[in-house]
Amino acid sequence: MSVASVLVETAIISALYALVAIGFTLIFGVGGVLNLAHGASITVGAYTTYYVTRVFGYGVGVGILAAVAASGLFGAVLYLGLVKRIQDEPILVMITTLVTAVAIEQVVVVLVGTEEKSIPALLRGNADILGTNVQLNMLAVFVLSWVVIAGLFAFVNYTKAGKALLATSMSHKGAALVGIEADRINLMTWVLAGAIAGLAGVFLGSFQTASYAMGQGPLVLSFTIVVLGGIGSIKGSVLGAYLIGFLEIMTIEYISPSLTGLTPLIVLVAVLLAKPEGLFGRELVEA
Amino acid sequence: MSTTDTGDEGGGGDNDSGDNSSGGGGGGDFPGTIKIGVLAPEPGNDPIGGSIANGARLAAQQLTDDGFIEGTSFEVVVEDTKEDPGTGRTKYRELTQGEEVHMTTGVFTSEVLLAIMDDIASEQTIHMTSGAATPEASRLVHEEYDTYKYHFRTGPINAYELGVNMVDFLDAKREDLGWESVAVLVEDYEWTGPVQDALDENLGDTGVEVAMEQRYASGTENFSPIYDDVEDSGADAAFIAMAHTGTPAIVQWARQQRNFEFGGIHVPMQLPSYYEAVDGACNYAVTQNSATPESEVTEKTVPFSDAYNEEFDSYPVYTGYITYDAVMQYAEVVKELGTLDADEVVTGLEESSYTGTAGTISYYPPDDEFAHDVVYAEDKVDPVFQQWQDGDQTVIYPDKFTTGDYVKPEWIQ
Repeated sequence: MSVASVLVETAIISALYALVAIGFTLIFGVGGVLNLAHGASITVGAYTTYYVTRVFGYGVGVGILAAVAASGLFGAVLYLGLVKRIQDEPILVMITTLVTAVAIEQVVVVLVGTEEKSIPALLRGNADILGTNVQLNMLAVFVLSWVVIAGLFAFVNYTKAGKALLATSMSHKGAALVGIEADRINLMTWVLAGAIAGLAGVFLGSFQTASYAMGQGPLVLSFTIVVLGGIGSIKGSVLGAYLIGFLEIMTIEYISPSLTGLTPLIVLVAVLLAKPEGLFGRELVEA
Repeated sequence: MSTTDTGDEGGGGDNDSGDNSSGGGGGGDFPGTIKIGVLAPEPGNDPIGGSIANGARLAAQQLTDDGFIEGTSFEVVVEDTKEDPGTGRTKYRELTQGEEVHMTTGVFTSEVLLAIMDDIASEQTIHMTSGAATPEASRLVHEEYDTYKYHFRTGPINAYELGVNMVDFLDAKREDLGWESVAVLVEDYEWTGPVQDALDENLGDTGVEVAMEQRYASGTENFSPIYDDVEDSGADAAFIAMAHTGTPAIVQWARQQRNFEFGGIHVPMQLPSYYEAVDGACNYAVTQNSATPESEVTEKTVPFSDAYNEEFDSYPVYTGYITYDAVMQYAEVVKELGTLDADEVVTGLEESSYTGTAGTISYYPPDDEFAHDVVYAEDKVDPVFQQWQDGDQTVIYPDKFTTGDYVKPEWIQ
């Protein structure tokens, strides 16, 4: 594989990984808790699209909107129903969200079964980019990923709600002193993170099909990316996603495909030992 | 939790039905109910486990309705292994000790089968595997015959012979397929070890060039870089052994319209419902299979799949054919012997040659390295290779079973 192909493959897969990890980092950055049901949000998004497009026969566009809405709603229900009352107990939140994730898997097994299901691609066909065969669908993922990332930056930096979110992530007390209602910001974060995860679920599903256990891989991936980039840092997560994507492609191409899953974990351990705050430190620091 | 079907619920109260070595031989001294224990993964949700359970149910129902053994009904008790060795052992004991079944069948996962081999030995109850392919089980039978002789593998052919079967297919069909060079892609799971060995030992004899060979990581979901390498190698086709990773692999091959063909053993692609599940992504791809709903492997194949479809509103996966055959063969042997005595049934099965839905089933003798595995041969069990063609599982090999010719993917000239 040529160097150009390596770069193209890296860019494509990393864009998907960034989309997968951003919601996870957002919740940790703002709420200070680890949402282990993040993978479940991805599953909810993927299967919502499956039902809307394959079972009810609507178009892919409707499927994506439904996925974003359903996962956003799932985030809201998760926060209001479970997390809100225990958010000061990070361990409890981890246990609760982990149990939720397992429950969602079982719900999918009961409703859909264990057979993997295909989700239609947003775009059909292929393009030749620098001599590399790329699905148009994955190009759409690349573009949408950057639209979401740019939108998130713009939202956080230039809107009132976004600034409130940033303030809350920096200091709950400080935010409260200037009249920002932390619960409302947390709710907004969970909805936003869920919606982005839902979008990631659609693309992950269209790339590799939807299965009941499809949330497990992305959860581990999110952990790795977020720790690598710096816990709570959106910028770090994007960079982390690209580093992991690059490592994955390089490992497959130049070392051995049998080590694919191992390399990021080695990097994760190395980062935790050498630079536990990650590449970008904790950007959104609690006062 | 178990599910019980067919026959009355009073098995425990029936004369002798609790004694799995009952009978006494010769005189047709059978209990009122013969109980069949079935181990299947997620029988309510997984097509593979569901086919195991339903294949046994259909066999028991037909045996009972036909009065196959006069005055005796057949009852099926299904337990869910969850594909977990620990759960599998617990469920096996529930069947043999709690339900006191007369024989057991099923087991899809090799790890589960290996976990219960010692229990099968200590319970001395006939077990006829109908899913797991590890040759490790038959090795145990061969090496410690008196201990492990109660294990038979009705199907599929064991994992080493699965690899040999792939080579035989390629050897016979290379000109029709136009595959002069192949890229061997094998997922890194337990079951593919013997397959890989068979390919390494035999592929060179076919004259087909091996352009590249890749055993890739379990859990691989992104096949793009691997497929780039296959294209760079110039291989005509990816020659594959995939089960767990098969679906992302096939979807990406089709959606990226890769410049190579695709075939070998692809377990998910054996499912009759697979074309719909992946929205046609498996079109033009080839996989080995025990039987397909329309293939006349024997005169029993199509009637069975039709009856199954009528009863359960779907067509069986390969495990359904095999489990049905296992129960039917067991019934035939015990009827002939006139006893349920496990030691006598072992001998009976060793001598049996039974025409089932997946072929003529007989077993390798104790002195064979694959002792008690179903015999793989042209006139015995000879798996089919099917190509998905616009929603149909078209059989392209062996020639005697073909329902159509191989077609190249439309994007390949």
